[in-house]
Order: sequence, then C-alpha cells, then structure tokens
Amino acid sequence: MKIDRRSFLGLGLGAAAGIAVSPVGVKLTDDSSIWTQNWPWTPVPEDGEITYDPSVCSLCPGSCGISVRKIKGRPVKIEGADGYPVNNGGACLHGIAGLQYLYDPSRVKTPMRKNGNRFEAISWEEAISIVAGKLADIRTDGAPETLGVITGSAAGSMPALFKRFLDAFGSPNAYEMPSLEGNLQLTAATLHGAGNTIGFDLENSDFVLSFGAGIIEGWGSPVACFKANASRKERHAKLYQIEPRLSNTAAGADKWIPINPGTEADLALGLCAVLLSKNLFTQGNFTGGFQKFTAVIQKEYSPTRVEASTGIPAADIEALAVAFAKAKAPVAVPGKGRGDHGQNLKEFAAVQTLNALAGRLNQEGGAFVMAQPEYLSFPEAAMDEIAEAGAGKEKIAGSVNKLIEDINGSDKPLLNALFVHNANPCYTLKNTQRVKDAFKKVPFVVSFSSFMDETAMEADVILPASTFLERTEDVPAGAGLPKSVIGLATPQVDPVFNTKNPGDALIQVAQAMGGTIAESFEWETYDECLEAVAADIWDSLSEEGSVVVAEGVPEGTPAVDVSYLAANPTSVEMKGEGDFTLVAIDNMRLTGTIPAASPFAIKTVSDKVLSGTQTVVEINPASAKGLKDGGEAIIATEQGEAKVKVNLNEGIMPGVIGMVKGLGHTFDNPYVAGKGVNVNDLIGPVIEPGSGLDAAFGIKATLKKA
Amino acid sequence: MIQHENAHKFGMVVDLDKCTGCGSCMVSCMAENNVPFKEDETRKKDSITWMRVYKLTNGKPFPETEVVYMPRPCQHCSGLGDHGHSPCVSVCPATATDYGYDTGIVSQIYTRCFGCRYCMGACPYHARYFNWWDPKWPEGQENYLSPNVSPRMRGVVEKCSFCYHRYQLAREKGYMEEREIEENEYQTACTTACPAGAITFGDLNNPEHEVTKIVKPDPHPDPMNKNVVGKSRNPKVFRLLERLGTNTKVYYMSEREWVRKAGDNYLDGEWDKRKNHHGSSSDHG
Amino acid sequence: MDSALIPEGAKRCAFPKFMIGMAVVGAVLLWGVYAMFLCWFKGLNQTNMNDYYGFALWIWADLAVIAIGGGAFFTGLLKYIFKIDELKNIINFAVIIGFICYSSALLILAIDIGQPLRGWFIFWHANVHSMLTEVAFCLSCYFAVLTIEFIPNILENRQLNKVPFFHHLAHNMHGVMAIFAATGAFLSFFHQGSLGGVAGVMFGRPFAVREGLLIWPWTFFLFTWSAAAFGPCFTLLVTKITEAITGKKLVGDKTIHLLAKIAGWMITTYMVAKIIDTIYWATVTAPSLGFSLSHFYTNNAFYGYWILIAEILVCGVLPGILLIMKSTRENPTTRLVAIILATIGVCLNRWVMVLQIMAVPVMSFDTWALYIPSWQEVATTILPVAYGIMLIAVAYRYLPVFPQELELNKSAKAAE
Ligand SMILES: Nc1nc2c(c(=O)[nH]1)N[C@H]1C(S)=C(S)[C@@H](COP(=O)(O)OP(=O)(O)OC[C@H]3O[C@@H](n4cnc5c(=O)[nH]c(N)nc54)[C@H](O)[C@@H]3O)O[C@H]1N2
Ligand SMILES: Nc1nc2c(c(=O)[nH]1)N[C@H]1C(S)=C(S)[C@@H](COP(=O)(O)OP(=O)(O)OC[C@H]3O[C@@H](n4cnc5c(=O)[nH]c(N)nc54)[C@H](O)[C@@H]3O)O[C@H]1N2
Ligand code: SF4
Ligand code: SF4
Ligand code: SF4
Ligand code: SF4
Ligand code: SF4
Repeated sequence: MKIDRRSFLGLGLGAAAGIAVSPVGVKLTDDSSIWTQNWPWTPVPEDGEITYDPSVCSLCPGSCGISVRKIKGRPVKIEGADGYPVNNGGACLHGIAGLQYLYDPSRVKTPMRKNGNRFEAISWEEAISIVAGKLADIRTDGAPETLGVITGSAAGSMPALFKRFLDAFGSPNAYEMPSLEGNLQLTAATLHGAGNTIGFDLENSDFVLSFGAGIIEGWGSPVACFKANASRKERHAKLYQIEPRLSNTAAGADKWIPINPGTEADLALGLCAVLLSKNLFTQGNFTGGFQKFTAVIQKEYSPTRVEASTGIPAADIEALAVAFAKAKAPVAVPGKGRGDHGQNLKEFAAVQTLNALAGRLNQEGGAFVMAQPEYLSFPEAAMDEIAEAGAGKEKIAGSVNKLIEDINGSDKPLLNALFVHNANPCYTLKNTQRVKDAFKKVPFVVSFSSFMDETAMEADVILPASTFLERTEDVPAGAGLPKSVIGLATPQVDPVFNTKNPGDALIQVAQAMGGTIAESFEWETYDECLEAVAADIWDSLSEEGSVVVAEGVPEGTPAVDVSYLAANPTSVEMKGEGDFTLVAIDNMRLTGTIPAASPFAIKTVSDKVLSGTQTVVEINPASAKGLKDGGEAIIATEQGEAKVKVNLNEGIMPGVIGMVKGLGHTFDNPYVAGKGVNVNDLIGPVIEPGSGLDAAFGIKATLKKA
Repeated sequence: MIQHENAHKFGMVVDLDKCTGCGSCMVSCMAENNVPFKEDETRKKDSITWMRVYKLTNGKPFPETEVVYMPRPCQHCSGLGDHGHSPCVSVCPATATDYGYDTGIVSQIYTRCFGCRYCMGACPYHARYFNWWDPKWPEGQENYLSPNVSPRMRGVVEKCSFCYHRYQLAREKGYMEEREIEENEYQTACTTACPAGAITFGDLNNPEHEVTKIVKPDPHPDPMNKNVVGKSRNPKVFRLLERLGTNTKVYYMSEREWVRKAGDNYLDGEWDKRKNHHGSSSDHG
Repeated sequence: MDSALIPEGAKRCAFPKFMIGMAVVGAVLLWGVYAMFLCWFKGLNQTNMNDYYGFALWIWADLAVIAIGGGAFFTGLLKYIFKIDELKNIINFAVIIGFICYSSALLILAIDIGQPLRGWFIFWHANVHSMLTEVAFCLSCYFAVLTIEFIPNILENRQLNKVPFFHHLAHNMHGVMAIFAATGAFLSFFHQGSLGGVAGVMFGRPFAVREGLLIWPWTFFLFTWSAAAFGPCFTLLVTKITEAITGKKLVGDKTIHLLAKIAGWMITTYMVAKIIDTIYWATVTAPSLGFSLSHFYTNNAFYGYWILIAEILVCGVLPGILLIMKSTRENPTTRLVAIILATIGVCLNRWVMVLQIMAVPVMSFDTWALYIPSWQEVATTILPVAYGIMLIAVAYRYLPVFPQELELNKSAKAAE
C-alpha cells in the first residue's frame, strides 16, 4: 500500500473529524466538570421565603437589639436591629456570629451526670430528681445556707429567680461575677447611696476623659459606645485616653496619655486636687467631710506626687485638669478595658468624684446617677422554718472572689452545693486553678451552662441551657448607658438539642422539692413566670420588644459622700517580682463572657495576638533585650509560666507586657479552644480591702527567650 | 466600551478616623456570604476573609506611635482609564470573573473558575482567596448557611462581591414595584453591620447618594496620569494604590496625613510635592 | 536481548544495565506521580502555596521548561524555514527535548489548577483579553505540532520502519514538515510571548508591569527572544550530557559551533534589549508608580541585587560574549560554561518573572512574602525531569536520533 501526501492528509483530517463528531468525549468531559460543580459534600442551602424577626442579644452586657433573618423559618443571619434604643442598627462581631453558638461543637446536648471523671447522658427527669434529691438531703442535714449560687450578673429575672430559690431554700449565698455594672453600682452605693447606678452620656459629651475605659473595646454597652465614639468626628468632641498601651481606643483618641499601670486612681485624685487648689470645682452636694477630703487629697495627690507614681509630668496633669474643667461638657470615665475584672473601687470612686467636682453629675454629656430599674415584682417567697433559719445566717463572703478564697482556706466544706448560671468562673476569675480547687471542695456542683466550658466540666450535674436564640428572657441593658432599657429576647428557633430554658429547669427543680419551695415556684413555665413578674411593662415589652424605663438627664444634683476617699484608702499593689509588669488586655475580637469567641470571631484575630496555638505578647522594643519580633519567650510570674511569642510594638510603655484575655480555653472545640494561654493562669487575685473586688490589673513578670 | 444608559457604579468610602478595628464588618461578611472557616486561621495568607481589616502604624516610636485600621474588601477596580478591565478580570482566561458595566461590580463565578489563580497574582490588594481546602462546617453548622450565596467548592477563587445578591433582591423588588431602587435598599452587609458607621456605600454615579457627596469623584482623567479616573475631589479622600491606575471604587477618608500617604507609594520627597499640588494641607495628627 | 530494536550499527549498553538505570530514574518518577495524585485527590493544600503566593515552584518550572524547550521551535525554524541544513544533525534531538519540555509543561498545568476537570473551560469560555488564554491555545497547538514532528523519528525505529505503511508515513511526514515547523514557530512565538505577557500585563504589580507595543508588553517580545536565544543552549547542554553519559560523540562539532554561534548572537542581542528594558523599567515605569528600584531588592531575606546581577551579567552578558567569540565558543570548556550559565540565566529570568513578582509587597503597609515549597511540589517538579531522562534514554536507545552517530564513532570503533 502506498500512501501519498493527499491520502495522508485526508486520513488525518478524517480521523480528527471522526473524534470531534463522536459525542462520547464531549459528554464525559462535560459531565465531569458538572460533577465538580455539584460535589455532594458541598452543601446546598435550602431556599425559601425570607423573614426578619426581632430579638435581643445577651451574649454580653451590651443587650443590643437584633434582627434575625430567616429562610422558611431557618435563621441564617443576625444583624443589628434598626431603631432599637440601645444600638439602633449595627452589632458587634460576636452578636453577628451568634448563630454559630447554636451549633457549637461544645454544646451540652442533653442533661449530664458526672460518673468518675466522665460525663454520662441522662434524662431530664433523672437530672431534676438527682438535683432535688441532693438538695433535700442538705436541708435534712439542717444546713440550707450551704447552697450557693453564682450568676453572671445581678440584673433581670433569671438572677432574681435564682435568688428567690435561695430564699425559699434558706441560703443568703448568692454571688455575681465581677461586671462593669456591678462596679458602677458599688461606686454609686459608696458615693450616692444604695440602689443607684451610674450612666455616662458619651454621645453628648465634648470631652471624654477615659481612665483606660475601652470605649471601642467592649466597655459598657459596646455598640452604643462605638456609636457615641464615632459621632465625635461630626461633633468635634475630644477623647483623651489614659492607658499604658496604645489600645484601639487610645489609637482612635485625640490624645493618648501613657500612664504607669494601676495608677489611674492616683491621676484621678491628682486632677481632683488641681481642681480644688485652683478653685475650679463646682460647689455641690458633698457630704461625709468635704474639708477633710480636700485636705487629704491636696496633700497626698499633689501634681508632683502624682507625677512620681503615674509617670505623667506634673505640668501635664495641671493642664489636663484645667482643660477638663474648662470644657463645655466633659465627662470622666472609669474602668480599664471592659471595666469588669481587675478593677478597684478607689479608681471608680475617684473618677466619679472628679465628675462631681467638675459639676458634671446629672448634666447633659456628663455622668448620670440613676436609680437601678425596678420592673420586676415577685410575690413574697414562701419560707418554711428551715428557710427562715438559713436565711438569717451570715453570707460567707462579700464577693465571688472572696468566696473562692474562703472556700479554699477552710478545712470544712463551706458550701455543700453550688449552682452556676451564665458564668464561667473556672476560666474568667484569676488563678483558675484556685477556682477549680474551690469547686472540687464543693461536693455537689450544678451547672446551667449551654456549653461544656471550663466550669461545666467541674460540675456534677449539668442542666443544659437553651441559648439566647432558643429561649425567652428579659434583657435589661445597663453597663454605663445613660438610660435604662429592658429588652425581650424571644426564641428564634426551637431548641437544637435537648436543652431547656434554665428558668424552666429551676422551676422544675423547685417543684420536685415540694413544700414551700414548690409553693414559691407555682408557675407552669418560665415564660408564664416572666409575664407575671414583669406585668407592669409586659404589654409594651412583648409588643415592642423593648421598653425604655428611664431616659434623659435625671433630675436634681445627687449627694456625693466623700468619706470613703477622705479616708484615703490604700491602693492595691501588684504582686510578684520581675522587671516587667504583665497587664491583661481586652480585645474586642475576643471575649471573656460568652463561652469563647465564635469561630468567625477567632478568625478575625490578628496573628500579632494569636499565632498558631501560641499567644503573642506585646512589649516595647526598648525593653526587648535580645528578644526578637515573632520569637518565642517564656513569661513567668509567681502564678506560673507559659511559652508565648513576642510582638515588638511601639504602642506600649517600656517595661509593660500586654497579654490578651480570652484565649487559652481548654474545652473541646478545635475552632476556638486549645489556642494560646489564659492570662488568668498567670495573674493571681488581689482583693481590695473594703470593696472585696479583685483589683489585680496585672502582676510582676519576667520574660526570657525560650 | 459598553456603558449602559443608566449604569450604576457602586462604591464605598470608609472613614478611617471612625473605624475602630472591631471586626464586625469581617464577621458580617463571613456570615452573609457563607465564608467557611478552619481550625487554624492564624496563617493569614491562607485565611479567607473577603473583608480584611489591616492595621497600619505611622512607624514612629513610643509614645508618638499611631495606629489606624483599614478595612479592605475587594476594591472593584474599573481598570486603566475606567474601561472595566480590572487587573483580575482582564487576566482570567475562562471569563470566570467579570466586570458588570451596569453596576461596576466585579463578579466571581465559582462554577466556572478552574482555579488557575492568575487573578490572585494580578490583584495587588490580596482581595482574592483560593479554596485550598474543601469548605467544611462542623456538624449542624450548615444549618445557618444562606441560600442567596452559593457555598464554594475546593479549588476555586472567591472574593467580595459587594454583596451582589443584596442588589439582586433589591432590584427584583424594585422591578416588581416598577421603580428604581432607593439608596438604602441596597447596602452591603459590612456597611450595615459597622457599629461605628465608618462605611458609606452607594452609587457613585448618583449625585444624591451620600458616597458621591463625600467622594466627589472627578469623571475626567487625572492630568498627571491619564490612567487614573474618578479621583476624589475631597482632599481628605484617597484610594489604595491609585497611581497604578486600578481605579478602585473603594475610597478611604482620613484627617491624618500619614494615613493618606500610606494609601500609595511615593518616591522620597514626592509626597510633599504632590500633596501641595493636590491642594490639601498638612495637618498635625 | 532488545538488539533487534536498536538502530542498525549502533552500539548500546547491555539491556540489564539499561533497565537498572531506568529503574532508578523510574523510582524518582513514581515519587513524583504519587505527589501528583495527592495534589489531584486531596487538592492544592498539598502545596505550600497561599493567597499571597498563588504561583509557586512548579509554575516557575513550567515557564522554565518552556523557555529551555524553545530550542525546538527555534532550531526547527532555522532548519526548515531558513534552510540551514547543517542543523539536520541536531533537529531530531531538539524536537525530542521540546516534546519533553512541552508535555511536562502541560502536565504541570494539569496539576497546578484547582479544578483539573474544568481545565477545558479555558477553551470553552475563553477570554480573549487574557494572556493565559493565548498561552493555552498556542501551547496545546504547539504540543500537537511537536508530536507530529516527533512521530517520523519514532517511525524510523528499525522494526517500525519495516512496516511499509509506517515507512511511507514517516517519509511523507518529513515532506510536509516545513509546514508544521512554520506553524510551530508561529505558535511558539506567540505562546512564549504570551507567557511573557502574563507578567507584563499585571498592571497591579509594579515589579512585573511593562509598557509595550499594541496589546503586548515588552516582556512578550523579551520572552520569545530569550527562549529562542537560550533554548538552543539547553539543547546543546543536553546533547553534551548525553554524550558524556554514553561516552560517544553524537553531534559533529560543526553543527555544535554553528548552533552555539547563533545562540551567542541571539543572547547578546537579547541582553541588549533586556538591559534597555530593565533600565527603562527601573528609571521610568516603576518610579512613575511610586517605586524606587531598591524597593524590589531590599528589606527581605532572599531577593537582593544579586539576583539582578546574576540574571543579567553573569548568566546573560557573559555567556553571550563567550559564545560569540570564536575562541571561547570553540573551546569545549568555555563553551560548556557558557551554555550552563545561559541555561541558569533563562531559568533565573523566569523565576524572577513569576516568583519574585509574588514576593514583592505592593501596598505600602504590606510585607515581603517569602515562600518555601512543600515536598509534594518538589516531587512534582522533579517528575518531569525524571520523565525527560527516561524518554531521552529510550529514544536514544531505539531511535536514530543522531544521524551522525555512526560516522562520528567509526574511528573509535576501529581503534578498539
Ligand atoms: N425563591 C425563589 N423564587 C424564584 C427563583 C428562585 O431562585 N428562588 N427563581 C426564579 C426563576 S429564575 C424562575 S425562572 C422562576 C420559575 O418559576 P415559574 O415561572 O413558575 O416557572 P416553572 O416553575 O417552570 O413553572 C411554569 C409552569 O408553567 C407550566 N407550563 C409550561 N409550559 C406551559 C404553557 O405553554 N402554557 C401554560 N399555561 N403553562 C405552561 C409548567 O408546567 C409549570 O407548571 O422562579 C423564580 N422564582
Ligand atoms: N433561552 C433561555 N433564556 C433564559 C432562560 C431559559 O430558560 N431559556 N432562563 C431564564 C432564567 S429562568 C433565568 S433565571 C435567567 C438567568 O440569567 P441571570 O439572571 O443572568 O442569572 P445568573 O446567570 O444565574 O446570574 C446573574 C449574575 O449573578 C452573578 N452571581 C450569581 N451568584 C452570585 C454570587 O453569589 N455572588 C455574586 N457576586 N454574583 C453572583 C453571576 O456572576 C451573574 O453575573 O436566564 C433566563 N434566560
Ligand atoms: S455588643 Fe454584646 S449585646 Fe451587642 S451584639 Fe455584641 S455581644 Fe451582643
Ligand atoms: S465594622 Fe466598621 S469600625 Fe469595625 S472594623 Fe469594620 S469598618 Fe471598622
Ligand atoms: S481588588 Fe483585586 S479582585 Fe478586586 S477588582 Fe481589584 S484586582 Fe480584582
Ligand atoms: S482562578 Fe478562576 S477566576 Fe481566577 S483567573 Fe483562574 S479561572 Fe479566572
Ligand atoms: S461588600 Fe459584602 S461581600 Fe464585600 S466585604 Fe462587604 S459584606 Fe463582604
């Protein structure tokens, strides 16, 4: 056979055409690419009608109104609710990521009982009867006062319901976790009388003097603060931030005034002294020995003395005091970081007294002294003899930190049982080992947690709570807001797991106990209870989703009792030894309250804060001494040591180590736990005499190359 | 160039003096757009964040140090001379990313992208992200996924879409009611989430929209660089890498000079000359 | 054992020795194939690429093999179009090397893309503005051309050639080869250029961007020119290596000197253009975008001015001069130095135009992005090398690749 050029080309072209015409290749190619577009492991979210339902976020004390977008009833997105009296649109990253908590891998999916070192699932009936049985034994033994309760806050119907349970049971031992609101109430009680709280009218102030308050880092009601802060630009209002490091608030401020850690109270009193000596203060309703106060403050907190402790030049202190006094609507704000942990009454009282001297109490753009909202009216709890006897007993301690200390310090169990609701003390309180030890000394711990967090792991029984998206609850907004707003959280989805509203769980425990305790809890459900006890505002609350119970500048000039400061309370000293001062940093993208930041929130955390599974600490290059940026180091305090990475950062005072709060969780959620160290493991508490607050803002530390 | 009669040109301006670096915009974007997450997200170079908030410093020592946060979505570049040839769109061999002449939005078609990543190399803003892994949600978490944005598959590129689905929903509604959509009907998820109100979003072709009022874009090419169109006439407003001629539609605003300077690259001494030319004044920061 | 397949009169090593060699290289190949499957089935997370570094080691390898494979199109062009008949002595080998380089490039691309099953979208949904579209079309067509150019050589195998059909087919294909060589040269011109364009059009990357002519940036022309200049050097280098391994002279000095001379002039003219381009870019283009030259070569742990000097002077100007000067060109040692430097030079150029681009920060607050490949990338990058060695070994053993082999080794035989 001979192939010439023509037949060769013909053959080639024919073959090519044949293959091209055959559908097999094209079909297979097409099919395979379509398959890659429909991989069965890539989810296809179900479509349907879009609706928006209002509710309230209670992940932090901010209490923002939210709008939940749903597809055929399935929540897909949380956004800030427009028009809500706290946040009026906008939400923080934790609230927006709220749906992730519904399906969190560490959720407690069903009631649990600890058996040895392991938890086993039990039914709700069994769980309730175990708890009721144990509690009955305690009463039988005649020691009802050995039941304690720790709640996250004191506000709203849930803490009240737990308090009521204690009343009916016969125990005075109700404790709350440290919070800004708690600190403000304590300050108000010290200066203005019990039952009050303090709000700051940031959005109308033209000069905010912040003593380290993280106004854009989660202080108070975060979104409300963000908005007030952002409006400064249009209002030409100033913010001066006094803080050892260039926090975001300091970065956004008109002026950053670095200060030696822990000397904020000195500065506040130093400013008071300048106002007094220059006669720049407003005569107000001062009680408790104003003369003595004036003398003590002017002597002990003269600008030169304050320069020595704070590191701020005396001339600057005087100028600052004058600027503050001369501003149209200045306000001074206390509470480093979020204003909850590691605070001292001396600073809060000093800052509020500065407001008082500047004539800023109950003035637009100033500090408001407001009555704590009273919108709940519970009927009198029924108490039997045992209850009467127990209720008369002395409370073990004045604060939760003191309680932990006392439990550890006593040979016999001070508490036989402990309820924990909406709190994670085994993570959030300082020296977490100390807290866990105390928990181990309580024979029966009941957790009402939604998550298997550090505290739930120490429990004997867990009565799992529905999350804020699965339950009804009243959500009072406080925390430094210049108004009182009560919001209503409503279930946005049926409970995803076998959980209950903790109110229902508590009512069922009470009813299982019978007698006067059951009598005190004669509601079918928590929802019914809430409707009854909030009857005064229920109609508006349930219709509008929120009720503003107090708003605007309060009437009158409140009395200011200066006796506490006139006695010149001692400042809390830092513990430990070392060249450095370790301070805990609040970072908006992490959180100390809810179980842990969500996977979304963790994703936003800078690699200068968390690197792989290591915490990154900030130090000034001037104090680096051979430590390299990004290098590893061992940080050691008298509480313990940890391996960290180093971030050389000009935005922190030399000699200070900044370490973020909110990392180092140890529970079972690979997205948010097992990352970094818990700064509370390195800092031990220092209880402020008089207030009982854990005032440890930091600790002496060493930092060495790893 | 195809230019519709009533073409929109969506864009935003971010007030960097207001931005707090809080991260709400980042999370809102993730939640809105079904962005996945993995166990370790600290390697920022493979962490999918359509909206990324950069932290910039003025480089000065303590205590003169200053910091600013710069949120960076996709800049929706209109390309040299504003002709729609964005750096990424012009290079994609499969037309898997496209310039919408009616909206100015740079789209991304996941099912068409075959993962060559050329677009990523071409984008100087690192606004594009590759799905190195199969996106996986912990059990149950698919339940919050939104049907308005398709979850992506391994091996494709994704990026900020200016929440295009929100535009589609608004447009459909407007169409049904036989009217144009209002400014507030189409807002991106990052804009509405921002607690500081730092982001203003709207149609740069609509003089009534707030973003246009702030930016006052110059429709004529910059006499100093004909590739640059849409330069802001507000001396406090700038764009990222404007000199490259990418013609981004995300503008930034700051009172602080060092911040404005950080938006682009300048030879030694060049900034002072330009700044004076621009007519803006130096201010103490 | 396989002597019936070996070209008539040619001397080849013993079959077992050959198989042992193949097994060693084959093991490396299998390692690469394993890595390749990992990338396909587990995805590109097997690499150390990231969102800053979307092009990595193997994309450099891809561009580099295409550049050094340029010997095929350029030698083909000279032989078939410019009728430089002397090059018939090396054309077969040039084509085989080209075939290896281009098939490797295609394989790398198939591993590189995140959705290999959608790879054909580049043709189906082609974007005419994209340089990569141009690359894909020309690359695939040129690979087809190379295959066609390779087939006659395969058919010349002693046994295949006995089949009349194959014999005639081979003969006729030789007859039409000029058409394919011309097509190949044209396609090659474009895709080498488009590959250069890939970098040059990235106007968001001041390190890469170049002004140019019509729709093409200067890098388009520089890439084509450099492939034509350096490709033959690689052909010469592989020839030299093959000669060293087989212990035989395979291509006559006249051919070698001719090709080296052409390469030398190509390199020298290319370097003139490249230097002008670099100066213009460094003094006009980059500064107009706000970048000084030092921005690209300082403040990082790897990329210094050394890479610029190495690419342009040591591995560019120097080999160019060595090859245009008769004395150094015809001295085997200096010629070897020159072709090694030249091969390194073009590879460095491709490295710079792919990887350094990704590393240079563009936004004023960005930092350098340095990159270390994973073992999977290294393995898949070595895979083509192993495959190339095996293909050359098989071709050399069984095909009459070198027309001068018998003649050049006659005297050696007689001496035995
Ligand atoms: N929520 C949501 N809604 C959507 C969409 C979405 O994605 N989400 N998609 C939208 C889109 S893209 C589309 S196309 C529409 C589709 O929605 P429809 O326009 O409702 O289209 P079909 O679902 O195809 O239904 C058309 C009906 O017409 C019938 N039909 C077919 N031929 C004829 C005919 O000649 N005469 C008559 N009288 N009837 C006929 C069919 O049997 C069928 O029952 O839905 C839109 N609506
Ligand atoms: N001949 C014929 N024509 C038809 C039809 C038909 O049956 N026959 N069907 C009609 C129907 S039913 C339809 S629905 C239309 C479809 O046509 P189109 O309305 O054009 O809808 P799509 O092409 O689905 O999407 C429009 C755009 O949305 C973008 N997009 C999609 N998802 C996303 C996302 O998540 N983010 C962003 N940023 N962009 C996204 C895509 O990039 C695309 O540019 O075609 C219609 N035309
Ligand atoms: S600030 Fe607090 S209440 Fe408001 S959205 Fe965030 S977590 Fe929820
Ligand atoms: S949400 Fe607003 S304030 Fe927060 S980081 Fe984003 S742009 Fe800045
Ligand atoms: S920012 Fe990047 S991804 Fe977005 S349009 Fe511009 S080049 Fe493309
Ligand atoms: S990765 Fe996808 S979108 Fe990007 S250039 Fe390639 S095909 Fe286009
Ligand atoms: S515009 Fe939408 S997609 Fe883009 S960053 Fe904002 S929220 Fe994300």
